[in-house]
Amino acid sequence: MDANQFSGKLLLKHEWNLDDELFELWLQKKWIQEVPGIVRKFGVTMCQRCFNTEKKYFGLMPGDITYCRKCVAMGRLSEREPLYRWSGPENELEPIPNSCAWEGKLTPLQEEAAHAIVRTIQTKKRLLISAVCGAGKTEMLYKGIEYAAEHGLRLCIATPRQDVVRELAPRLRRDFPSLTSAALYGDSTERDHGAHLVIATTHQMLRYQNAFDVIIVDEVDAFPFHKDRSLPKAVNRALKPKHALIYLTATPRFNLKLQTALKLIPTVSIPMRYHEHPLPVPTFKRVHQLEKQLQAYELPKLILDWIEERKGRRFLLFTPTIELAQTLSQSLSIPYVHSESPDRKELVMKFRTHQLNALITTTILERGVTFPSIDVAVLLADHHVFDEAALVQIAGRVGRSADDPTGDITFFYEQKTNAMVAARQYTRIKNKEAQRKR
Amino acid sequence: MHCLICFRDITEATTWQNLWTVKEKNICDDCESKFEKVKGSTLCEKCMKPVSEEVNLCGDCYEWQERFQQDPLIQNVSIFTYNDYMKDVMACFKYRGDYELVHVFKEAIKDTFSEHFKHSFQLVPIPLSDERLSERGFNQAEALAQLIDLPIYNVLKRTHSEKQSKKSKLERLTSKNPFRANHPISGDVLIIDDIYTTGTTLRQAAQTLIDHGATTVSSLTLIRS
Ligand SMILES: [Zn+2]
Ligand SMILES: [Zn+2]
Ligand SMILES: [Zn+2]
Repeated sequence: MDANQFSGKLLLKHEWNLDDELFELWLQKKWIQEVPGIVRKFGVTMCQRCFNTEKKYFGLMPGDITYCRKCVAMGRLSEREPLYRWSGPENELEPIPNSCAWEGKLTPLQEEAAHAIVRTIQTKKRLLISAVCGAGKTEMLYKGIEYAAEHGLRLCIATPRQDVVRELAPRLRRDFPSLTSAALYGDSTERDHGAHLVIATTHQMLRYQNAFDVIIVDEVDAFPFHKDRSLPKAVNRALKPKHALIYLTATPRFNLKLQTALKLIPTVSIPMRYHEHPLPVPTFKRVHQLEKQLQAYELPKLILDWIEERKGRRFLLFTPTIELAQTLSQSLSIPYVHSESPDRKELVMKFRTHQLNALITTTILERGVTFPSIDVAVLLADHHVFDEAALVQIAGRVGRSADDPTGDITFFYEQKTNAMVAARQYTRIKNKEAQRKR
Repeated sequence: MHCLICFRDITEATTWQNLWTVKEKNICDDCESKFEKVKGSTLCEKCMKPVSEEVNLCGDCYEWQERFQQDPLIQNVSIFTYNDYMKDVMACFKYRGDYELVHVFKEAIKDTFSEHFKHSFQLVPIPLSDERLSERGFNQAEALAQLIDLPIYNVLKRTHSEKQSKKSKLERLTSKNPFRANHPISGDVLIIDDIYTTGTTLRQAAQTLIDHGATTVSSLTLIRS
């Protein structure tokens, strides 16, 4: 067994998957070192895997043993069950030149971003790529991935969303057939044996320390990455001391915007879609007592009219809550999906393959998944779950295909919100910016 | 207070109503509503499995009664069904080892105990093998038993492991008893376990207890699958 395939790992004993004898041997050799799981310092208790310090997330086991409930899904870490980190020989990746088999052509704007990424990897710096939905982010990464492979650098693409990992991994494998890779997320069974390319959820970063030369965080503004402070910390821990860190997003949140404004992070803005058509601008439609009507299984005429006007074009209806999705699904006889629907994958697939003409969804389909030629309506766009980023992302589902680059995006609401206005403003600003770049 | 399952804040404002019904609540209403109690007018008299209206006993219980002429288990009482939600919670509790989740069931276990059993009952949890116990760090049956404020008698030991997997029904009914008792016991015994599936394990435990002096053996299980 190649020992250095373990380099950069931070795992529970059973996760090492080594027989006891070898594990003991490597402990003695100090190739593997114990890291206490739960540490108390200055009256603060902290989980050494997920950085949790909140009391409500700690539990007690028989024998008064403290364990962390926040990351227990990754295997229990307690005062008795420590972590082990690799401190043996480091993984030396075989450099692989010309690994990219993709033969497509980048647009000038994609080219610009691709160069910035390569430069960032060369100089081991940080970079923000702020690219609108449909800008063709994945292809922008290809030169960077190729550069990393050629120089034996370990690269990880981390994203908060499982769906994105599932969609990205097969594409990258097709376009980089000579690279070893691992796709890691909650229920994936793949393991990383020191791969060139790791495609993982940001949660999986909790299992690494000092592992990657390059991490690209895709959808950096998505839940839970931007809310859960442990995840940015985990990304930092997973990086080697000298590293490149690249953020990708269509909708940077305040903190990153501020860093850009203060020139603390170099930023490349891609305001145009790869097909070079403008972003569809949301139409606002006010409906009196919209929420009440929907809850009472009544369908406002404006909404029925909108559906009528689709004339057979496929459409998505976004609702703020699962309950509303369910109610609406009954009134309209259109199936609905949410984060816990057991048939989520199946329904999305049916929609994709035109077996379904319409689908009601909560914000789970707000990003990551793309369907050509669809229209989109947001019901109760003034609900607080629809912040600016969510609305921009939802609007970004429309007009994705080069063959059919336009489409309708309508916000139905009762009371206009700042988020709605900001989202509309965003599309207008980006479209103007794009015009100047033409 | 935070919900033990979803961590949401559940500090309730005191109202006249909940002043009278002071209960230790440690999960939110949302999470609580996802559990489903075993109920219905036609349940097996012995083990609470749903049966058709014409019979009093389910197939398994009938078999024990008829084939072996005597059933070591007098009665089983289960509280919840094994719905998808319960499966998720149990996966977290047992397999991921999130011990705190046991407290979710405190009220239900206590109430069910006092409704069906007397304080003279002696509580015996179904044991885990040593291997499992050290893996998991706790025995879920014992954890559940501890929710009842009575002494616990750990008199059973497992002689071989838990794996019950793909045996035929007859094999299951007649398979070798995996328990032994390391102490004599007497009087009415109540076995505690997390889940009642076919009842074979519980009956093997019950037989062992009777062989070691128990007068009667019943069982209280959190889940009827
Ligand atoms: Zn933790
Ligand atoms: Zn809850
Ligand atoms: Zn029965």
